Amino acid sequence: MNRRAIWAIARKDIRAITANMQVWLPMLILPVFLGVVLPIVLVLAFQFGMDAASEDLKPILRMLEMLPAGGLREAIDAYATLNHKVVYVAANYMLTPFFMLVPLMTASVVSADSFAGEKERGTLETLLFAPVDMLSLFVGKILASLIPAVGLSLATFAIAAIAVNAAGWPLFHGLFFPNLNWLPLMLLVIPMISLLAILFNVFISARVATFQAAYQMGGMVILPVLLLLAGQLTGVILLDSLVVTILGLVLGVINFVLLQQVLKRLDRTLLFASQVK
Amino acid sequence: MQENMIELNHVSKSFQNRSVLSDLTYSVGRGEILGFLGPNGSGKTTTIRLMNGVIRPDGGEIRIGGYDPIHDGDQIRRISGILTESASFYQNMTGLANLRFFADLYGVHDPKRPAELLEEFGLADAAEKKVGTYSTGMKKRLGLAKALLHAPEILFLDEPTNGLDPEGIRMVLHQIAELNRRRGTTIILCSHLLQQLEVVCQRYVFLLGGKVIEQGRLAELEAKYNPQITLEVETDLPLNGDGYRGVAARRLEPGRLAFSLDSREAIPAFLRALAQDADLYSARQVNRDLESLYFQIQEATSHE
Repeated sequence: MNRRAIWAIARKDIRAITANMQVWLPMLILPVFLGVVLPIVLVLAFQFGMDAASEDLKPILRMLEMLPAGGLREAIDAYATLNHKVVYVAANYMLTPFFMLVPLMTASVVSADSFAGEKERGTLETLLFAPVDMLSLFVGKILASLIPAVGLSLATFAIAAIAVNAAGWPLFHGLFFPNLNWLPLMLLVIPMISLLAILFNVFISARVATFQAAYQMGGMVILPVLLLLAGQLTGVILLDSLVVTILGLVLGVINFVLLQQVLKRLDRTLLFASQVK
Repeated sequence: MQENMIELNHVSKSFQNRSVLSDLTYSVGRGEILGFLGPNGSGKTTTIRLMNGVIRPDGGEIRIGGYDPIHDGDQIRRISGILTESASFYQNMTGLANLRFFADLYGVHDPKRPAELLEEFGLADAAEKKVGTYSTGMKKRLGLAKALLHAPEILFLDEPTNGLDPEGIRMVLHQIAELNRRRGTTIILCSHLLQQLEVVCQRYVFLLGGKVIEQGRLAELEAKYNPQITLEVETDLPLNGDGYRGVAARRLEPGRLAFSLDSREAIPAFLRALAQDADLYSARQVNRDLESLYFQIQEATSHE
């Protein structure tokens, strides 16, 4: 592999995002909403409007009831009032699927542009004429999407942590977010889910000619996360650290299979033929 | 015997059952500038792509610098620079940023090289401007600068002067000739603008319908096709009728005549005779060019 070329490709693509406000500004809307606005609203609503909204809290209460014995049970039981418990669960569990959306969306947008955009603008031909092996080209492209997706997710999470704790301060007078539940999410699920979105886009981009088409198709990977979200909100699934770790491992296996397929198909002449207009 | 830098033997290629190249055989010596001629759609660009390993031949053998383009493509791409019509730059990046990016891809060690090349190609003032704002000619010059980044041993230039103004054409052709003279770069020059190639190319390959229909040096081809020669002469010879000493003649303008001779060998005797009859200021052979040869070769091929 050609390290210099890998980083040159990754750097170029990342700069193309950061240099263009029309590109990065819309990309920030979702993280800001999911990572800052939504958590604050959630925490404040459960903190001060609980009685008024008790009917709507049923899913959370059900979730509290079905908690198995263990770390979480103890953590919840340690809190004196139902108010504490609900806010703790709302912040630490209900937000989980939303934090899967951030890397997913970012990785989809960036990789759709990174792969299909290169074709659309006629620059892929210039790249293929350069003495860069296909693996290096591919790795550079993956990094170009993975770094912004993971980076933006972690940054959003850091801001969310501050926002949630600040909003819950009157109730807790201390830090209550994040709990250990988030560790496998940050270290495993977010990189894996980003990689999945990227690999999915690689497959799509090999078949469609434009960024638009790739982006539309790439949006499909969002469906499973919406299912998780629905499951979580209705109390069917509880995304605790074990479930999250398993989810991360499953994503890892899917990525491994996809990666094998992509690597098998890495062929300069096929890629070249796909961009000839 | 000169070592061959580029060798193609019986190469064929078709796209969706439509044959684009058939039985293509030619070679280019190290340090040679080869003019690759043919009308649009004759297979020039396909040949360049084959030689760079971005498309696979259906049959035949290709060797570039001793390497096979499909198996050792990166070796070939490391020693060759390429300028094609369809390959683009990143429009949202500056000219300098584009060259720096490709310097990374081509493993160029000298960090000053991109700026030096921009200077050399008259783009120093536009170095910090986005390529999207460049004119066609500027993009073409940037493309040449990119092709030369890693001081390649082989240069593939597909229509390098298309879209350039006369000054740009002169500059590019001068650069090409200089590069060949100073560094011994082997150059393949594709074009349909024939009169430009004449200045720089040492040998020609004529392509038509995916086949090599003729190849050789200009003098060899002239001797073979023995084209009728038109001589433009500045003289005060009075012309009566449409001939002079058995040679077809016509008046172009006062003081300038055009004579049609059968061969190059007939010129010296003809001019000696003319100088005896009238004052002679200048004489120029006007169709001793590729263009007329090109049409003659094409015509000869279509009659076969």
